[in-house]
Amino acid sequence: MSITHTGIRVAAVGDIEDGEALKVPAEITGHGDAIAVFHDGGVYYALDDTCSHGQASLADGWIEDGEVECPLHSARFCLSSGRPLCMPATVTVRAHRVEVRDGWIWVHPALDSAEEAGG
Amino acid sequence: MSSPRRVAVVGAGLAAVSTCDALRAQGYDGELVLYCDERGLPYDRPPLSKDVLLGKSGRDDILLRPEQWYEGQRVGLRDGTPVRAIRPRESGIELADGSVVGADRVVLATGGTPRTLPVPGGDDPAVRVLRTWEDAERLRERLLPDARVTVVGAGLIGAETAAVAVALGCRVTLVDPVPVPLAAVVGEGVARALHSRHTAEGIEVITSGVERVERPAAGEVLVHLAGGSRVVAADTVVVGIGIRPATGLAEAAGLRVDNGVVVHAGQRTSHPNVFAVGDVARLDGHRVRHEHWEAAQQGGEAAASGILGRPLQQAGAPWFWSDRHGSRLEAVGTMADAERTAVRGAPDSGAFTVFGLRGDRLVAAAAIDRARDIKAARRLVDRGVAVDPARLADEGVDLRTLLKR
Repeated sequence: MSITHTGIRVAAVGDIEDGEALKVPAEITGHGDAIAVFHDGGVYYALDDTCSHGQASLADGWIEDGEVECPLHSARFCLSSGRPLCMPATVTVRAHRVEVRDGWIWVHPALDSAEEAGG
Repeated sequence: MSSPRRVAVVGAGLAAVSTCDALRAQGYDGELVLYCDERGLPYDRPPLSKDVLLGKSGRDDILLRPEQWYEGQRVGLRDGTPVRAIRPRESGIELADGSVVGADRVVLATGGTPRTLPVPGGDDPAVRVLRTWEDAERLRERLLPDARVTVVGAGLIGAETAAVAVALGCRVTLVDPVPVPLAAVVGEGVARALHSRHTAEGIEVITSGVERVERPAAGEVLVHLAGGSRVVAADTVVVGIGIRPATGLAEAAGLRVDNGVVVHAGQRTSHPNVFAVGDVARLDGHRVRHEHWEAAQQGGEAAASGILGRPLQQAGAPWFWSDRHGSRLEAVGTMADAERTAVRGAPDSGAFTVFGLRGDRLVAAAAIDRARDIKAARRLVDRGVAVDPARLADEGVDLRTLLKR
């Protein structure tokens, strides 16, 4: 992995298998939480790694149909928005922009804090 | 039948809040009020026997929804407001102060009360139970290093409580008449592995019933085991032997009650304007009430669909988890339904999964510390995929590939 002004180069395309995720440690993301980079059916997504309900790593979750299901209590989150789709989670996890460029997957960590799910 | 305009939900556990959540998510725009006996915002119960007892989580950490959610969703929260009666024929409910409030649909989410030991002294207040926040708070204060704690019942709540107590330095005795608790649900192998962990962690496990409970002096409780075999002295006794469904309101209203409020599709009771969800409800045709977290959540969603006359989502196989001694048990379905099993992982390592098959379909799975196996198993069960037991057992096979047809 390497960090440049254009984001964090996390992996080469093909390194993260479909249905798998890569955890980028907090020391590299530089924003307080690790970031999970998910591959779901040819599309890459990135969310804060820690579930907004418990203390589980979403990178260890079940990835399918544009959602990730937390390994601990099965809260599901939308991979593109980070919004919780069912209980027990009620708070959105922060989503980050992902870019595929020159055969590499880049993550651009969001600077703003995650919005509250609100209702 | 007229469309609902005033919905009253009686209870404040997960099933109650899920019902409110789902009603709004499905577009219900009318009045929605939640009535509950306890004071304060509704909270999640699974942490009570885990992080709350351990002192790691406070009440604010376990709220089902933040306070602003109730305002945002226009859910009226009448906490500390017991409901004395429901009067579906008169489209109302009666509160403890005698006032009657209009409600054209009532959702019973009254849960249950912990069973007490049906023996002399079993109802002594010194014998504690664990169901509410207050129960957990009071019990936590007693779980001091070197305190003698006897837990009766080694199912889910009892096992979790014993595990927390020993982790906090208590001297713990765990009593259950069943040699291998949970075996019918998770299978003999997983149940044995779980139960043996108690002994390994320093808990004295006794297979016995309880004959009577005696409190000779303040501060000490004597648990007399079956047949006069032994007397266990304890500073604190906790009983976790299941609940009695709180069916009083339903019975008084003349609803059909049989080991819970009997419900049909959409959580409908025998009265068209009354629904029941969560631990108090038993789906007609099912032998047991599914007293688990996810069942309560899905019941809320189904009740909302039932109230609004919308199509129901297919419910998946029952799933639950239990945390003890730093390990997690998860189970899907009921192992007693299986004709044969396949084991994945090494039981000696402590982390393994048992899959239960009926014909070529997966009907159950139980795992210790193997979350992904369970996630795959839930999908294999719910989608009715034909599976080869040899592939289930083969660690070289990614279970996700079994889902792809």
